[in-house]
Amino acid sequence: MKSFRATRSGDVVARLDPAEAGIVGLLLDQLEQLLAADADDVAGDPVMARLLPDGHRGDPELAADYRELTETSLRSGKADDLAIVRATLPDGGGELRLDRDQAGAWLRSSNDLRLALGTRLDITEDTEPPDEIVDEQDQQLAVYYWLTALQGSLVDALAAGRGGRS
Amino acid sequence: MAGPLAPTRTPETTVEEHSDLDRPWVTIVWNDPVNLMNYVTFVLQELFGYDEPTATTLMLQVHHEGKAIVSSGPRERMEHDTSRLHAYGLWASYQRDS
Repeated sequence: MKSFRATRSGDVVARLDPAEAGIVGLLLDQLEQLLAADADDVAGDPVMARLLPDGHRGDPELAADYRELTETSLRSGKADDLAIVRATLPDGGGELRLDRDQAGAWLRSSNDLRLALGTRLDITEDTEPPDEIVDEQDQQLAVYYWLTALQGSLVDALAAGRGGRS
Repeated sequence: MAGPLAPTRTPETTVEEHSDLDRPWVTIVWNDPVNLMNYVTFVLQELFGYDEPTATTLMLQVHHEGKAIVSSGPRERMEHDTSRLHAYGLWASYQRDS
């Protein structure tokens, strides 16, 4: 991977290896399946609870109101973002060039992927990247930290672009 | 705070009820182990128009104290702010100011 950087045109550009593009594609599939799942099948799933959290803590009635008011648009926003990420993901790797709207979709979707993986892996603030990959848990942890690096560089590139505009 | 447009208090309404209704609602961002510090700062700037130092101060408050109030106002607006933060994956909720 070549990290994101801001360009003079206002776009941000990164480069993904073929394997990296493949992993992102697989993760998008999984996230899409999870979001499309029957509500009963994912009731109580901690990942869903993290992706579509309660809006109010302590008052179930207000939390239910909030859900009714916002869940549909939150879900469709996530679906729109996923579609943009899929359309811009270079098949087989290569240059990833994003305008500002596309970058916003990548920002939110990559964050959702990190939230989903981080919740499954029980990430805490003390979790460290794996020294070596011996099992599936290490592998997923490595993917999580790879996404962290990708997203971190995207934020920096967008912040740099914003500084240049004002 | 009573202004010229404040309703005249009726005998059956207590002072406490009044101050309870006047208390604004707030949107809170809670600390979580996944969201990156630069991401939280970026999102607060993007959604609320905070300048970078203000957004950074709020982000650090979330990080060190576990939470920070990022906006306040009527309930409907706080619901809306919470949903905008949820769209970016921040761990947010709204409540009546305590």
